[in-house]
Formats: sequence, structure tokens, C-alpha cells
Amino acid sequence: MLNAQSLKIIDKAVAKYPPDQKQSAVMAALAVAQDEKGWLSPEVMDFVASYLDMPPVAVYEVATFYGMYNLSPVGKYKLCLCTNLPCALSGAVEAAEHLKKKLGVDFNETTADGRFTLKEGECFGACGDAPVMLVNNKRMESFMTPESLDKLLAELK
Amino acid sequence: MSAMLKLEVDGREVEVPPGSTVMDAATQLGIFVPHFCYHKKLSIAANCRMCLVHVEKAPKPLPACATPATEGMKVWTQSAQAKQAQNGVMELLLINHPLDCPICDQGGECQLQDIAVGYGASESRYTEPKRVVMHKSMGALISAEEMTRCIHCTRCVRFGQEIAGVMELGMIGRGEHSEIVAFVGKSVDSELSGNMIDICPVGALTSKPFRYSARTWELSRRKSVAPHDSLGSNLIVQSKGSTVMRVVPLENEDLNECWISDRDRFSYEGLNAPDRLTQPMIRQGGTLKEVDWQTALEHAAKLLSDVRDQHGAAALGLLASPQSTLEELHLAQQLMRGLGSENIDFRLRQRDFSADGKRSGIPWLGMKVADIGRLDRVLIIGSYLRKDHPLLANRFRQAAKRNQEVNLVHVASDDPLIKLKTKLVVAPSDLPAALSRIVAAVAELKKLPRPAGITNLAIDEPSRAIAGSLVSGGSTAIFLGSTAEQHPEAARLHALAQEIALLCGAKVGFFGTAANSVGGYLANCVPGGAKGLNARAMLEAPRKAYVLLNLEPELDCHDPAAAMRAVKSADCVVALSSFRTRATEYAQVLLPVAPFTETSGSFVNTEGIRQSFNAVVKPLGEARPAWKVLRVLANNLGIPGFDFDSSESVRDVACRTADIPARLDNGISGIDLATAAGANQPASNALERIADVPIYFADAIVRRAESLQQTKDSREPRATMSPATAAKLGLSSGDSVRVRQGDGEAVVVLNLDEELPQNCVRLATAHPACSGLGPMFGEVSVERAG
Amino acid sequence: MIQSIRDFFRGFLLLELLQGLALTGSYLFRRKLTVRYPEEKAPLSPRFRGLHALRRYPNGEERCIGCKLCEAVCPAQAITIETAQREDGTRRTTRYDIDMTKCIYCGFCEESCPVDSIVETAIYEYHGETRGDLHYTKEMLLAVGDRYEESIARDRAKDSAYR
Repeated sequence: MLNAQSLKIIDKAVAKYPPDQKQSAVMAALAVAQDEKGWLSPEVMDFVASYLDMPPVAVYEVATFYGMYNLSPVGKYKLCLCTNLPCALSGAVEAAEHLKKKLGVDFNETTADGRFTLKEGECFGACGDAPVMLVNNKRMESFMTPESLDKLLAELK
Repeated sequence: MSAMLKLEVDGREVEVPPGSTVMDAATQLGIFVPHFCYHKKLSIAANCRMCLVHVEKAPKPLPACATPATEGMKVWTQSAQAKQAQNGVMELLLINHPLDCPICDQGGECQLQDIAVGYGASESRYTEPKRVVMHKSMGALISAEEMTRCIHCTRCVRFGQEIAGVMELGMIGRGEHSEIVAFVGKSVDSELSGNMIDICPVGALTSKPFRYSARTWELSRRKSVAPHDSLGSNLIVQSKGSTVMRVVPLENEDLNECWISDRDRFSYEGLNAPDRLTQPMIRQGGTLKEVDWQTALEHAAKLLSDVRDQHGAAALGLLASPQSTLEELHLAQQLMRGLGSENIDFRLRQRDFSADGKRSGIPWLGMKVADIGRLDRVLIIGSYLRKDHPLLANRFRQAAKRNQEVNLVHVASDDPLIKLKTKLVVAPSDLPAALSRIVAAVAELKKLPRPAGITNLAIDEPSRAIAGSLVSGGSTAIFLGSTAEQHPEAARLHALAQEIALLCGAKVGFFGTAANSVGGYLANCVPGGAKGLNARAMLEAPRKAYVLLNLEPELDCHDPAAAMRAVKSADCVVALSSFRTRATEYAQVLLPVAPFTETSGSFVNTEGIRQSFNAVVKPLGEARPAWKVLRVLANNLGIPGFDFDSSESVRDVACRTADIPARLDNGISGIDLATAAGANQPASNALERIADVPIYFADAIVRRAESLQQTKDSREPRATMSPATAAKLGLSSGDSVRVRQGDGEAVVVLNLDEELPQNCVRLATAHPACSGLGPMFGEVSVERAG
Repeated sequence: MIQSIRDFFRGFLLLELLQGLALTGSYLFRRKLTVRYPEEKAPLSPRFRGLHALRRYPNGEERCIGCKLCEAVCPAQAITIETAQREDGTRRTTRYDIDMTKCIYCGFCEESCPVDSIVETAIYEYHGETRGDLHYTKEMLLAVGDRYEESIARDRAKDSAYR
């Protein structure tokens, strides 16, 4: 199901915990699986569950709890925009409007070319940099303005 | 034991052991603290917040269920602060809970409803739309049509994880978007799943078979005892009019705690199956016709006495189902002995009777059920533990979580969902040898001489591991399961288990195969004298006349093919049955008798407790309690000693409670332990059958319970073998195969199971699809069908 | 002494009789309170509790959800209900009988009904020629409801301000 490279990373994560606590590595394993597959299908979650000796539904619980796991296919770039209070007060709403207009999609939608998925995120813990956006769970975009967003989108093309 | 903690709840002093919670202290005082997520048998989650109480010096109210009691603590459950907190939580819970109590099946027995009366406001301040959660599919037993009602107490999730041993439900999402689901496309298949219906404090999980058929307040409740396994779970049978509407557990900490298995819970559907026998029938001129009781009983008496007069009393035989009550078994055997025959047996699925006369007493659990949890080391031999004894399995599951080491030697790879120390899967023919190896390994570890007959055996690794586990603990027990009792060398398995027990100072116990597997012996429903034939002999050397009590020979006997041959060739078969079984094909007289809900009676469970129960509803149609039928039949035959006027008087003649303990003994002597070379080893190329009794085919009532028949456990039986064996035969998974055994055959789908021993085929018995086959163990052949 | 003479004259002159006749006579000229039933009928309160009916929603769906609260609350145990799941998954009655010979017209059923399904109409002119005729089944009750829905709804609307 997952390639050898991914399994190696998962094994490394598993090794951090006692042998009878393999399930502690579930978040890392899901992240690795998502990096490889792009999103977490039931089959992938089932695989992670059997790999870590967990009940499948327990993996499902974790995957649905956290916003950064994709339970349906997303575009090449997932733009996760924080709309919680500090960001909203600092211009996240305008940034969201700008992105929606620019990309022609609403939240939880993917552009027709399959390049961008726009998502609403919960607080990323970087309120000092508000408004913030997370690109593909990895890259944080701080102090968003329409100009910086345009630049970013051009860069991600 | 450290000192008790003294604290004060609502101004009253109470002492609790260390480790107790405030909830425990309040419960001890009889003070009710409202709660939803807390359940005494489950872990503490503290996520409903309903049990918030006021604690002295605490800045905020604390959840009683999760707050440890401390010395000198002062708690108020009714203070203004506590009340305000509780009312606030109630309002929060009701924000999204639909007010559809009138159509909710839980209405009237709903904890949320009850507590809302005490703690809820009379009107909601919330005007926004309520959330809606889509309904879920959880299989044939649990209805999850209204998950909007869920208040996320996670009792069901914790029940699955902790009690059922398999987490089938989980809570996905977070906050207001939380939902209880099964994994994508899965259903809830646990054999204990029905308990989730009981513990759900709202109407989110309800009983599918019971759905919308009655309201809780119109049901009358009677205590009863479960007839499907040897535990004797206590039940509350709820009925409306003369129909049993549902069954729920009656708490009995010594036996079933507060649970019952799905088999006990949903089997009631079989009681009103369309094929209930409601009128006595006799065969005249080759066709069955309905007659009144007097005609039927006189006819039966005449047929039986005719056979006796023509062929002698030894031509008569009695086969009684071990699900029959103590009273029925007692009267049946007395009737047969009155006719002069000693051909009496209730051990229908047993193969090896060589232990008869060599046992020191009646085989039983060897201890109290509650003592299972106190054992340190356990060896279980040949048991489909989860399916045969769902709640005994739970005892081991809980104990194994503490520090009991459970070792399993079995013929199939079924996961008991218990943390096992060692699991050894061997072919049935290899089971005695495997036990011998364990005996040798234990002897070696204990530095004791090997018992006679176990001289030259190589000890392998698994045996050593099991032996090592067994000798390392304080209290140890060896249990023999159904497979060990049904095994062709059951007596030797028993003797070997005893050897292991002797060597490591352990107890021996039998799980028992049916509700009255101890009661049958107590009622003396076993062959007597030198000439008495047992269940096997009676069928292999067919009798001229049979009396069948509550059984379907093609499903309830060890060798269905031989059983059917025997009853079909008999001159006279008198069948006492609750259902129109295949007895309509061969019986001369069919007498409708009442199932357990319609008769009074007693079961003696595997720990030797005699439990009596009364009828819940009146018998359907012309059916009558079997003890009355047998009494009148005996009177018609002129047999003395049948002047009983109540089932209690029969019961007290059959066995008195005080006499039971003295008659229970698992000792056995005079069995040769040596494995005769080549004995029981099938020819090198032949395949060996492994037969289990599917959980929902174990007796006549569950076989007719509609909803249970739709579960995963009731799927058409499949032939299962190891991939290597299949490859040798050129078969692959999913093939349709023909399994032949003797003259019989069955066409089934092939499954592969890597853990199954080589050259074995697992194929269930007790299922109509396999009723043409022969013994549960023995040679079979498999070929591609069609 | 004076009292006995007064009593004598009062009796002798039939004064009490005349007083009575005067009262009777006075009614001859007052407004009549009686009605000539059945040509005339007395007005009824919208709360009048007469024959029962089962109502439907405007789309034709029966209101009753089979909650059995009316059955539970009925002090005369005149109501018998059996329920089952209908094909669309909803809880519905398969039997809804009211024995009018048992009913004491207390109106508790109506009070308990969460969906205003069972109601007591303003109809009091119904009869049965055998006892069985007064055993109303679900079909009969629904028929009553269908026929008198307009007046039932009107009465409920009038009374709604006081509930």
C-alpha cells in the first residue's frame, strides 16, 4: 500500500515508542501516508491501522480530529486559511475574499485545474503573525496581504 | 491494605478505600449524582460533565466520577454551585438533542429524559437550528437511525474497547461535529454488541428487532435464566400480552455482571417463529394430522409399549437436548427407566464416552465463575471461547488485562480477543499429543517424573512456553472447552489436563457446552447399568423407538448423518419439540412443548448453581410445559412415581441444592495417557475435519431468531483450510468446493486461513447446509464443485 | 298569639300559592333559555369534548406517531394501540382503537398528544345500535377527522390563546 520509503519513516516513528505502544506513532504514520498518497482513503487508514496493530476506527478517529489530514482528494496545493478571531481581526476575512475571487472557488473547493484547494483552518498558534495561512501543512504564510497572496499564487503556479 | 479515607458528602460521613472517586463515595451513601458517561464497569471518561459537584476549597465544580476521594474532603452534590453547574450542563446537552421523545424507543427508560425532568429548564433558550447527524448502519441488531440524539458520552466506544475486546465504534470529528461511527463500511459484529443498547443513555443506539414494537411502560417483566450457554445468565424477559417483546439482563455480579450476550438477548425472536408447533400431531396412514392431547398421548404410549413388547425395552432410546430443563431431563429419564430401558443420554455432541464410570463426579467449571478473575495462570484447551461462552470470555479478557496469563491450545485460529500469552493451533488428531508435550514440559520444569505413558516425547517450543507460564503463577487452572468435550479422544484430553493440573498444582474445569450440561448429569439423564447405550451408541446401533426431547437430530448431534439414518429407520419416534422440525418427516407423534419462556424449570449452570425460573407468558397454542407432557405420558404408560403437581416438586426430587457440591468433581482415573502410534491419525493424504457450532445455530431457538440469522456470524458456512493445503488440492480462495464425508456431502465456498493446521478443513456443523455430513471430526475429502 | 293569627290568614288567603304563581307567571314574559333540540342547538365551547378523531396534516399524512402517551394516560383504559415501523422507517400505529363505552371523555388523550393527532371534536350526536358499534377503529377515527377537520381546526385556533 505504501512505498518502502514511507514505511521506513513510519518505522522510525514507531521506534520512538515502547514496542507495545505502537499506536503512539499514528499521527506521524498518517502524515507520512498523506504525503505519499495526497489524501487518506479508507484503504490507507485501514493499512495504517493494521501496520500499527490498531482498530481501524481508532485511526479514523485521529484522522478526522485533526484538520491537516485530508479525507478526500485535494488539489496540488492546499491553502489552509486561519479564520479564528486574531486572524479575522487582522484581515483574514479580506484575504479569504481575495483568494476566493482570485481562484474562483469557495472554502472546501478545488480549482478546476486541480491546482488549489481552499480550506478554512483553526488557529495555527501563530497569532503574532496574523493573518496566517498554511500551504500544504508545511509552509506558513504570515502577514497576508492581497499583494503577498498574489505573489504566492504566482510562485505556486 | 492502606487506611480507609474519611470524607463527607452532603454533610454525611463516609469511609471509602483509597483509589475511590467521589462518585463511589456518593453511591455508597445512596446519594444519586446525575451522570451519563460514567458506568461502573467502564473506564472513566468524564466527558458528559453532568456529575459536577461542589467540593470544598475547589475553585470550580468538579466531576464526581473523575475526582479522587481524599481524606477530609467535603462534597456537596446539591449546593447552589453544584446545582447551577448541573443545570448548565443539562442545558448544553439539550441544545442539540432533539425533542422527539414521543417517537423515540428510549422514551420512558431514557436517562437523559429522566435527568432533564430534574435538572432541565422547562423551556429552551436556544432558537438556532439543531445539528443533524446522518443515520448509520451498524448491522442487524443495533439500530443507529437517529444519531442526532447522541450526546457523545462514548459509553459504546468504551464498551467495545474494554468489554467486547474489539473497538468497532469510534467517535470521529471534534466538537459539535463529533459523530459515533463504525469504520467505513463495517458493521458491529461483536457477540456482546447488544449491551451497547443498554448502556446508551439516550435513544441513539436502540434495538433493531424491538424497534417501534412497544413502549417500555406497557411491558410486564419477569425474571428468567438464559438457556443458550452454560453460564446461566440472569434475564429479565419483557412481554406484552402473551408475546415476549424483548430480553434485557438482570444484574448478577456472580454470573453475567450487568451484561448478556446477543444470543441471550435476541433469541426471543425464535420463540414466535412461524414454525412453532402448536398442536399435537400423530402419523396415521403415512400422513401427519393434528389431534387433541389425549389422542396424541395415548397414541404415543401405545406405540412405545408396543415396541417394548415386541422388541424388548432395550429397543427404546431417549435423546434429550442439554438445553432442556432439569425437570424435563429428570422426568424423561425416569420415563425411559420406567419402560425398562437404560438407553438415555443428553450429551448429543459428545463422541468419546470412555470416561463414563471413570470420572469421580460430574464435570463442572471447578470453581465459581467469579473466581476466574482471580486466577494467575490459565490454560484453555479446545474452546471457541468467544462464540461458545461470550461472557466467560469477558471474564478472561478482563483478568488478562490485569496480569492473568491466558494460554490457548485449540484446533482453530479464531481470535478470542483476549491478550493471550501463548496460542497453539494444532490439528484435532494432534491435540492429545500436544497436551502430552505440555505435560512433559511441565514435568521437566518442575523436575518431576513424567507420568506413565508420556515417556518419549520431544518437547517443542510452544509447549515449553505454555508450561513456563503455567508453573510461574500462584493460582492456576486448566479449562476444557466444547471442542475438548466433543473431541473423539475427549477422555484422554481430560486425563491429560488432569496430569498437567497435578504437576503444577492447578484446578481442572469444564466450560460446559449447554445450559444444563451439569444438570443433565444431576438428573441422571445418562445411560445406566452395563447395557445402557450412550448417545453415540444409540445412533450407531439404531433403536426401534426413540423419544426425542427438544432436539433436531440433524443439527444437534455429533454425527448428523448417523442420527438422521437412525431416526428415519426407527419404527416409532416420539418427538417433544417446540418447533415443526424435520421430525415431521419421520416422527410418529409430535408433541408441542413449551420453550423456556413458557414453562417453569431450572438450569444448573457450569458452576453448579441451580437457578429456577417461572413461565413468562402462557404457552402458544396447544403447547404445554414438557414436564407436564412427560408426567401424563408416564401416567398413560402406567409408570409409577409420576404424581407431581408442580415443577418445583419434580425439581426437588431431581436434585436438591445442598446435594450438588458433593456430586461435582472433575477427577478422572484409569485412562491410558499413551498415544497409540498412528491411532486417530488419518491416512497421510486424507483431510481432517474441524467442526465448530456457529454461535447462532447452537440450539433450536436461536436457529429461528430472525435478526441473529442476519448477522455476520450466521453466514452460510464456508470450508476453510490453510493456503498450503489448498494449493496441494489445486484450490484457491472463493472456489466452490464439494466436501464429502461418508455418504454425505456439502457444497460450500472455500476460504483460506493461514493459521489453520495443515491437512485440515474447517466446516461448521449444526447448520442445515452441513446436516448431511458425518461426525464433527474425522476424515473428509474436498474437491472442486461443478 | 299575633304570629298564629298571621299564619292563619296567610294560609287561608293562599298567599304563598299566589307568590309561587307570580314567579311562574313572570317567566312567561322573560327571554327563553331552552332550545328546541334537535331543531335548535345550544352553542358549544371550542373546548367541548365529544367524539374522538384522528387528524392528518394538510398533505394527507396521518399525524399520529404511535407514541402511546394517550394510551398510557387514559384513566378508563379505553385506548388500545399497536405500533410498528412503516416502510419509510417511521413509527406508525397498526391499530388504534377507542372503546367509546369505556371512554369518560376526560380529554386527557388530547392533552397528552404531542402532535395534536387525537382530538375530541364537538360532535356529540353519534350512537351505536350494538356495543360493537361504539368500538372505534383507526379507520373510523381517521374518517371522523377527515370529515370534520375544518371545525376541529377552527376550535383549536379559537382555544389556542388560552393554552
